[in-house]
Amino acid sequence: MKLRPGAFIPELLKHLFKKPATVMYPFEKLNIPKDFRGTPVLKPELCIVCRACVRDCPAFAIEIETLSEEEKKYKMTIHNDRCIHCAQCVESCPTKALFMDDGYELSTDSRRKLKIAYVYSRPKKTAQQSSEK
Amino acid sequence: MAIMKALVYLFVYPGLLFLFVYSTFCEWFDRKLYARLQNRVGPAYTGRAGILQPIADFLKLLFKEDIIPENADRIIFSILPVIGVATVATAGLYLPLWNYDVSRTTFNSFQGDIIVVLYLLCLSTVILFLSGWHSTNFFSTIGGVRVLTMLFGYEVPLFLSVLSPAIVADSWRLAEVANFYQDFPFLLFFQIIGLFVALISLQAKLERTPFDIPHAETEIVGGTFTEFSGKKLAFFRLMTDIEMVVGSGLIATVFMAGFAGGLMGSLARFVLKTLIVIAILSIIRATFSRIRVDQMVVFSWKYLTPLAILQLLVSIIIKGVIK
Amino acid sequence: MKKIKIPIGPQHPALKEPISLRITVEGEVIKDADVRLGYNHRGIEKLAESRTYVQNIYLMERICGICSHSHTTCFVQGVESLCGLEVPKRGLFIRMLVCELERIHSHYLWLGVAAHEAGFDSLFMYTWRDREVVMDLLEIISGNRVHYAINTIGGVRRDLSEVQKEKILEGIQFLKKRMEYYTNLGTTEPSFVARVSGVGILPKEKAMSLCAVGPTLRASGIASDIRKDDPYAAYDEIPFSVCTATSCDVLGRVVVRIKETMESIKIVEYLVKNLPSGEIKVRAPRKVKEGEAVSRYEAPRGENIHYIKSNGTDKPERVKVRAPTLANYPATIEMLKSGFIADIPLIFAAIDPCICCAERFVEVIDTKNENTQVLTMAEIKKRYSKSQGLKKGSSVWPL
Ligand code: SF4
Ligand code: SF4
Repeated sequence: MKLRPGAFIPELLKHLFKKPATVMYPFEKLNIPKDFRGTPVLKPELCIVCRACVRDCPAFAIEIETLSEEEKKYKMTIHNDRCIHCAQCVESCPTKALFMDDGYELSTDSRRKLKIAYVYSRPKKTAQQSSEK
Repeated sequence: MAIMKALVYLFVYPGLLFLFVYSTFCEWFDRKLYARLQNRVGPAYTGRAGILQPIADFLKLLFKEDIIPENADRIIFSILPVIGVATVATAGLYLPLWNYDVSRTTFNSFQGDIIVVLYLLCLSTVILFLSGWHSTNFFSTIGGVRVLTMLFGYEVPLFLSVLSPAIVADSWRLAEVANFYQDFPFLLFFQIIGLFVALISLQAKLERTPFDIPHAETEIVGGTFTEFSGKKLAFFRLMTDIEMVVGSGLIATVFMAGFAGGLMGSLARFVLKTLIVIAILSIIRATFSRIRVDQMVVFSWKYLTPLAILQLLVSIIIKGVIK
Repeated sequence: MKKIKIPIGPQHPALKEPISLRITVEGEVIKDADVRLGYNHRGIEKLAESRTYVQNIYLMERICGICSHSHTTCFVQGVESLCGLEVPKRGLFIRMLVCELERIHSHYLWLGVAAHEAGFDSLFMYTWRDREVVMDLLEIISGNRVHYAINTIGGVRRDLSEVQKEKILEGIQFLKKRMEYYTNLGTTEPSFVARVSGVGILPKEKAMSLCAVGPTLRASGIASDIRKDDPYAAYDEIPFSVCTATSCDVLGRVVVRIKETMESIKIVEYLVKNLPSGEIKVRAPRKVKEGEAVSRYEAPRGENIHYIKSNGTDKPERVKVRAPTLANYPATIEMLKSGFIADIPLIFAAIDPCICCAERFVEVIDTKNENTQVLTMAEIKKRYSKSQGLKKGSSVWPL
């Protein structure tokens, strides 16, 4: 190995006239790739309340409450403050009612604001289907 | 009138105010250049292209909590940063910038002022050692010891290399040295080795990479500055900045023919020449990795000092030839 | 000269995570060193016992931020062997692909950290800039930059498309060029070489007897790599060589890691070009058959071991993790002795420590008589309330 003092200088000087690599984040943003795992979002019309997502979520971030048994009214709360964005819920869901959007700027001043609640009734069609079975 | 002039001289230009403003500008220049060499943006938000960032940092530090360690001597601990700024700012007064007259000796330009500047710059290093020692902290103590160890390494080559142009010019007065080289600029070519040695020694004096050993963050935390916070730290940072300006001004005076011209002319020359020196220092900072203190001492005695002595010999020969 | 003890850590700029190194120095020379762990214990093994296997994958991923894929793969392999699952070829290839990309990313990161510890900030900035490329590749493949979450029991979760393949090959070419440049730079820049060569010597016999692992071991001239010695996934089909160095110092560790990166780049190229078609995963049962499994994996930092005991339910009975850093601590102490203070960060960084990965239990040592004690959580809480004068029943950690 030969030693060359100042071996870095050509590279350094070359970059003096190049654009810095820094992305000035809040002012300019990077492209988000397709299939980025952002935050989980529910499409209430598709959910059949099978609770597979609740069972598999590693962070216990999904909660489903029954609001009224007769009307089949449910409330799902996604606790984004606990969510670790692993997308396991999306994978566990049999009806593809959950998906990940590309939001990543989640920070707020209170973790309560991160809770997202969906109130919905179970769709009629699937209810009939299940009663047929 | 003379008093007014002296006061302006001391406090406005080229005294404290100018030194403060210009040294923050130099810090910005150094940081920006260093960042660009590393493909980063550097200071970007405060003022245009972040030019006010050093001042903002200074002000922020002024308002921060100021802590004095329990075991430290309160008075010495508090007074050291101020003395530090005072010594380097005083050294700045002797730079032959606008306010001097070659034919006449004044309080800021006399035979031997080159020695005074070097002495004052050396004093600031001793102050760093004292501050490390008085912090009564392991890391500071080690930092302080490293400051002294390094001092013995670079001070000799710095003195030798800065004095050798003065030997050719046959004067110990900065203004006369500068004037001499304005008349015979070609003689500066023979001082190239000295310039090289002086730049490296100055880098060591300013404790910048590869010689940032006394406050090597990953080894001994803040080194000498570990216990300093708030105002005191702000003053120490100001001291380093002013030291950088004065050091590069000194090199510009003896190796680059000083700053002739009127008020504006001399200022422009001063800014240009010091920025060139600072740019070289920045490139050195970006190119190397920090070396160990033992390697530093070996390096300066094995390479720097012999080179400085060689320069001295060259200077003596040239002087003989001129005569 | 007087001997003094200096504390490096638990909070110190050279350490990215809390650990306490107690160094006895004489002037600038280190005479003795001692390591104290336990500042970052997270109780992951206990937590794993109360979660299902699927949930545990994501928990294991969070053992480490850099080798997140290593821990999941190790865990998932153990569970698969317990269930007797045969992972499809394509799934294995994608798993290995992420693994090698992770190795590239980890070694790039390490090179930057080592440069920073040596005070070579320019190299640090450049390597970390280039690391972004591999991070982006991982993001394209898995949907995230750090926690890829690509493993699942029985295979991988995401397939690779043609576009992605092209992007990977493109990115790899760039990384290869840059790594060649850094090899050149790191071994010729005198100030950097002066800092790393001859520092932190770990002779071959010592490395063997102190059970060092990974690049630390290989830099002492021992060609040991789980990928070769005990091939998992499909490593037995892939041509690659184990990189070693004989200088036994930090420079050797730099060289080993650089060579390994080049080797990983070749493996990635091979994997992408020879990706078999077919399924990427098989269905896994929720409940795992009773039994025990040990799984080994060559993480970027060395050998990673997971032990899993199943009791026939959907939750493991015991999970034990041995992270590579833990195996390297005894060797580190050996390396630190007779170095300079200035070498501490470099020597310590040279094992690429991942401190919180290695924190497994808390032992309380009485500093007066060196008695050791293992405490339960309840006991710790009790002692804390007592020391803080809290009343019984009041919240121990009020928010
Ligand atoms: S993304 Fe993961 S953590 Fe978040 S809700 Fe879904 S399963 Fe839970
Ligand atoms: S898994 Fe899907 S369908 Fe089932 S409860 Fe969750 S969101 Fe609804």
